[in-house]
Amino acid sequence: MATQVLAPAARGYRSGLYEWLTTTDHKKIGIMYLVNSFIFFFLAGILALGVRLELAQPGLQFVTDLTYNELFTMHATAMIFLFIIPILAGFANYIVPLQVGAPDMAFPRINALSFWMLPLGGILLFLGFFTGGTAAAGWTSYAPLSEDRPLAAVGYGQDLWIVALVLVGTSSILGAINFLVTIFKMRAPGMSLFRMPILVWTMIVTSVLVLMATPVFTSAVIMLFIDRNYGGAFFDPARGGNAILYQNVFWFYSHPAVYVMVLPAMGMISEILPVFSKKPLFGYKAFVFATVAIGALGFSVWSHHMFTTGAVYLPFFSLMTFLIAIPTGVKMFNWIFTMWRGKLTFSTPLLFAVGFLSMFLIGGINGAFSASVPVDFALHDTYFVVAHIHYVLFGGSVFGVMAGFYYWFPKMSGRMLSESLGKLQFVLMFLGFNLTFFPMHQLGLAGMPRRIADYSSASGWQDLNIAATVGGFLIAASMVPFLWNIFISLRSGKPAGDDPWEGNTLEWATSSPPPPYNFDRLPEIRSERPLFDARYGRIGH
Amino acid sequence: MSSSTRPRSLPGVLFAMLVIAILVAAFLVAIAVGLNPSQTVTSVVQSFFPPVAVTNQGAEIRTLYEIVFVIAAVIFFVVEGLILWTVLRYRRRPGDDELPPQTHGNALAEALWTIIPSIIVAFLFVISWQTLNTVDAISAEPQMRARALAAQFQWQFDYYDESGENIVYTQLIPAGEGGGMALPVGKNIELVLESRDVIHAFYVPQFLFKRDVNPGMVNQFQFTIKPEDAGKTFNGQCAELCGSGHRLMTFEVHAMTQADFDAWLQEHIDKANATPPPPPSGEPGGSGAPPPGGERQIQIDAHNTAFDQAELEAVAGQPFTILFNNEDPLPHNVAIHKGSPTGEEVFQGEIVTGPTQVTYDVPALPAGPYAFVCTVHPQMTGTLNVAE
Repeated sequence: MATQVLAPAARGYRSGLYEWLTTTDHKKIGIMYLVNSFIFFFLAGILALGVRLELAQPGLQFVTDLTYNELFTMHATAMIFLFIIPILAGFANYIVPLQVGAPDMAFPRINALSFWMLPLGGILLFLGFFTGGTAAAGWTSYAPLSEDRPLAAVGYGQDLWIVALVLVGTSSILGAINFLVTIFKMRAPGMSLFRMPILVWTMIVTSVLVLMATPVFTSAVIMLFIDRNYGGAFFDPARGGNAILYQNVFWFYSHPAVYVMVLPAMGMISEILPVFSKKPLFGYKAFVFATVAIGALGFSVWSHHMFTTGAVYLPFFSLMTFLIAIPTGVKMFNWIFTMWRGKLTFSTPLLFAVGFLSMFLIGGINGAFSASVPVDFALHDTYFVVAHIHYVLFGGSVFGVMAGFYYWFPKMSGRMLSESLGKLQFVLMFLGFNLTFFPMHQLGLAGMPRRIADYSSASGWQDLNIAATVGGFLIAASMVPFLWNIFISLRSGKPAGDDPWEGNTLEWATSSPPPPYNFDRLPEIRSERPLFDARYGRIGH
Repeated sequence: MSSSTRPRSLPGVLFAMLVIAILVAAFLVAIAVGLNPSQTVTSVVQSFFPPVAVTNQGAEIRTLYEIVFVIAAVIFFVVEGLILWTVLRYRRRPGDDELPPQTHGNALAEALWTIIPSIIVAFLFVISWQTLNTVDAISAEPQMRARALAAQFQWQFDYYDESGENIVYTQLIPAGEGGGMALPVGKNIELVLESRDVIHAFYVPQFLFKRDVNPGMVNQFQFTIKPEDAGKTFNGQCAELCGSGHRLMTFEVHAMTQADFDAWLQEHIDKANATPPPPPSGEPGGSGAPPPGGERQIQIDAHNTAFDQAELEAVAGQPFTILFNNEDPLPHNVAIHKGSPTGEEVFQGEIVTGPTQVTYDVPALPAGPYAFVCTVHPQMTGTLNVAE
């Protein structure tokens, strides 16, 4: 399957800065997405370490109350909007056109535009640190706290937050349109919908979610901006507005956003598990229907973030939230039975994929507690919820991102990452993650609310907080082998060749890295595993 | 195709032995350092449950939690066990390049793991709904009414008379410590929740309950404290981020027998009547005869939980007065600290609840930088320069 490399084209990856700044090649844009996202991942991670340092001991040791609020607000905002959502979009940017056998995204220039909005938005968001203060009303920025209140924040941080998120949201919307058009109009001959790789399916559902929900979110923050700067009163009850309205509009996006943050990671896992099990994905169609079901149900559960407001019809949102467990469970069993009776090769991508399965399972189970409204009355806004969101977004999405990174890095760079460093990173990250976030279940049950800078030494919460802080630094330590691995592998990693993992999908049918136009020729596509078919003929069917 | 490798490979056996050895070693170490194993196990198990509820409604929630927990634990161990067993059992042996059976799916299996979880979540939903109807029930005639009025960063509790209409006593809980609301046990109490500014949440972990306190909207819930918990104190705190002093919004709930509560309330009503709100003491033009130049009197206003002054000047070695005008319906004061707001306190003015005015007589201070701060709201600060 080796692609004939045409000399001038393939040299693109060694070209200069100008080439990168002006490129419309989806692969280069995808790589820039990854780099940009990882930069914000590290920044937001440092902010989280600040939070963990402050909470290790009772008493305020390092920061003031206001700075503490800035730390967790910026941590969550940057992790969600500048790391998880964009890095998944970045992987998809690189992989989806290759997987559908297209030469590029449908709208390459819009693709470049949607990327460049991200660093701009990120810079605006972080500018708050240099202009007197960042947003400090939590990543949810509930009104009326986020309106012009001296006790919430100082400076222009909240306005910068709004402008940054409008930019990032617009980037997402443009990207979603681009993905949908690419997938529906540019698939290779023979690739019917049910022969698409699962990652492509998850990107369809993700893009629909983004397209339908993000404008609503944008309207929410623009109304907030008007309230703050032009005398509006949408969300300020003191002037006739409605504070709960903000929550409804905010969560109408921000709950589906959870699926935006996890469906593509599920798609990546669904590419990796079959390859390293040497089996097809168990229940391909069931998996597709489950993905669509999650996307559809995802629009009818937003108010489960608002059970304690006293302004929600509780049974409906409770039922819909419970229902989401069913398609998610279907996926879990399909993944497990993909590995069942397979021949598992424990390379680093599979390690992280299995880490995803085992941790996302916990994030699903502890979410069911909050679906039960009375139990949520006890757990809402405590550290139990913090544990839940991190088991979903770190245990799920970040482990998925790492699996995908180890899996596709050889395609992107032409070099293999070191297996031993990868395994070291996995062990550190897995231990650190559980040490940080598992005790938060118990903290929440014991009554520790989230977003407090300090707690009484009589509360009995200190031991678990110390464990969480140690775990946080263990996660930080796991970044050392990760970065070192990238550094040495780019310099002197083993050459990857076209298809180092014996992959199933089209991206492995071209060179590593692929030429700018992606493919010289495509294999026949008669199933969702064209390369497997080419390798083994009819055995697999 | 089905030549599965039955015998365990050597690394697998070693790995299993290593895991067992670590567990045994951890157990022995725990005993050696003096942990009582059964006690430790009990406290670890307890940490997976919310506190023992002190209200009837909380007890219902705890029972529900226990059911949810057991189901969750079973699912956790079954599925996590399945994952673990699969990845250990189906590792590829070195040199085994044969393709495993290519199973694409199984309709029966898909149906099973759709239907069984559906039954489980339907069950969970129904029992949750039933419990919800109990804990969220609102009686038209509660036996007592009280109101929690939240403001940055302060709880105020109002006690209504028997008609449930008129407030007979208003209690301000200084943020951070002291005070606390008193409530009778065994009575169906309705707590009305209102906010003066942003969203807060009334949360008492031992009630297993919280409810948001929204501006522009009146919330309420009803609960009954168990009679056997009379005499106990429960900690509560604001659970919805409300600004820089969020963590300061703590309070206490003192459960009392009805007789004790009646006595407590009467005592506080009497005390409130005996000391009417401090009259606007120390009017500037009063008999106190402020210095003619007026430079020894400083005026500070508190408005929207903020001081109107950021910088003040005073003369070293000379006493001066502060006319403090508290425009907020909240308790504030002016305290002076050396150097920074957290430095040594050299003067603390009486805490007054506005709108009111008070005059503080500040003793002579040595020259140097000082900070003035509201004791109730540590985020209200400014600097005071005492020069020669």
